[in-house]
Amino acid sequence: MICRLLRENDDNDNSVAISSTTSLAAEKESTLRNDNSKKHRFDITDVANVALFLAVFVGLWQLVTLLEIWPKTLLPPPAQVAISISELITSNSLIIGIATTLWRLVAGFAISIAVGGVVGLAMVKFQGFGKTMSSFAVGLLTFPSIAWIPFAILLIGFNDLGILFVVVMASVFSVMISTYGAIRNVPPIYIRASKNMGAHGFALFRHVMIPAATPSLIGGMRQAWSFAWHALIGAEMLITTLAGLGYILAVGREFNDMSQIIAVMITIFAIGLLFDRAIFLRLEEKVRSRWGLNQHAE
Amino acid sequence: MCIDAPMALIETSSYTNKINNSSSNQEQREQQREETLDLTPILHVKDVYKSFDYKNNKNNSVSKIANYDRISRKQQQQLLCNSTSNLRTFTHDVLNGVDLRIREGEFVTIVGSSGCGKSTLLNIIAGLDRPDSGSLLVRGAAEDRDKASSTNRIMIFQESALFPWLNVQENVEFGLKIAKVQKDRRQQVVDRYIEMVGLSKFSESLVYQLSGGMKQRVAIARALAMEPEVLLMDEPFASLDVQTRDLLHDELVGIHKTTGKTILFVTHNINEAVLLGDRVIILSSVLKNIKKEFRIDIPRPRDPESPELYEIKKQILKEFESDLQIAKRK
Repeated sequence: MICRLLRENDDNDNSVAISSTTSLAAEKESTLRNDNSKKHRFDITDVANVALFLAVFVGLWQLVTLLEIWPKTLLPPPAQVAISISELITSNSLIIGIATTLWRLVAGFAISIAVGGVVGLAMVKFQGFGKTMSSFAVGLLTFPSIAWIPFAILLIGFNDLGILFVVVMASVFSVMISTYGAIRNVPPIYIRASKNMGAHGFALFRHVMIPAATPSLIGGMRQAWSFAWHALIGAEMLITTLAGLGYILAVGREFNDMSQIIAVMITIFAIGLLFDRAIFLRLEEKVRSRWGLNQHAE
Repeated sequence: MCIDAPMALIETSSYTNKINNSSSNQEQREQQREETLDLTPILHVKDVYKSFDYKNNKNNSVSKIANYDRISRKQQQQLLCNSTSNLRTFTHDVLNGVDLRIREGEFVTIVGSSGCGKSTLLNIIAGLDRPDSGSLLVRGAAEDRDKASSTNRIMIFQESALFPWLNVQENVEFGLKIAKVQKDRRQQVVDRYIEMVGLSKFSESLVYQLSGGMKQRVAIARALAMEPEVLLMDEPFASLDVQTRDLLHDELVGIHKTTGKTILFVTHNINEAVLLGDRVIILSSVLKNIKKEFRIDIPRPRDPESPELYEIKKQILKEFESDLQIAKRK
């Protein structure tokens, strides 16, 4: 211990001479990192990469159909699927399907966030409840959402509410656990500092806990959204209500219409991708760049 | 650990007595002088006792005993020492009857090796931690126990406690916003203190864009914006390079001069302690208490090379050395 103290004394004695030559301005200039090298949102090379990838994919698909390993009715070429998509669009069934599905998704997800968020916060507030509930919620998180369907059919019936029930069950536990975890993992130093500055109760929660937990909260929402999306399509296929993408998929199977099936599959893929990129990724990027978490990626 | 504990306690207390006897006259005189100078110090840490329980055991059996927290400390000790086998739970004293008075406008530095309880003491003064016994008097009045923490004593931490989701200006503004100060008044205060720490150009910058030194400057501005009576600094410059640290020392001395705030500055760096403080308090990790204090009546800014400071530094080092020898003998 003495050694350390002595050594530090020496260090400081030496430093005094050096310090007089350094100025405040020098410190500022050398340390402020302004990232002017920010990328544009739509990079031309990105577009080219996507186009190339799509071309290769469609080309391979075309090639496989030309080999005629399977009959054309079982594995239709890309052109036929394209026709199927345009037919579905002109007959309005695709648009109605998308609208119905998205409505269910948004409603179910909103319920999940509201319920999961409130329960998650209650779990933080009441420790005993939090401990018990988190093991219970983890159990239900790994529970396959499709296994809820028979229960929902018998309890609620073949209607929108039955589907919503399955969607909520699939995503609410993910929201719950991520809210619980995100808030509990807020660095204690932020809480101590803000308490010292007079924040407590709701102000502490609103101005410190929530913003500090935001990066992991967004991650949790993203996961919950994908759970909800998986469950929704499954539920729509099994709980028939004469509308929705899952329903069109099920109809395609009934009529052995492979091109319709593939057309709907592509639609589902596109919607999933669009939502993730347009909402969650954008949100996450915004938060990450504000917090300076993107530094190591460069 | 278990068997040693009571013996160690006895030894510590006898040592305390010896110290008290030898220097009691001087101490008494000093205390009298202090009391005549200022009857009610702005801060009075009165006979504060604090200990922590460490429970790093797999089966944790002692802590599971009903009412463990409610039984007296003596009983706890007995319980710990009577229980055999793989128990590793023990109580560790951090502060053992610390008594400290700080006058308004004083710049007090507390120096000690790691683990001597200096951060704990600061936390107690900040209201972020509670003493096991003893009390904290602010201007002679006991602190309201129900109040979470008082905003007239603001802490500046070693690590950056700035909020990464806010920019520099919003960080400085935080406490005022919590206190529901009006927007235009807030802006005024924020601008003043950001300027005081020389960061006007960077008020829109995000936290991650700042260097370590700049972060601590923002932390100082944020603390000052609360317009507290006392600034509590917990090794604020420990993780900075020496050049930046010296720069910030000068600035802190300037801020102390212009604002006249009472500053309590904790450090493990003797140089820093003697360079800044009107009084240097030595906290001993053996006594778990204040071992000695040095009054430094040299005007700031001080020359770190000056023979007077060198003499004080040497004496402080001697204090630490004797501490180390006692620790070794144990």
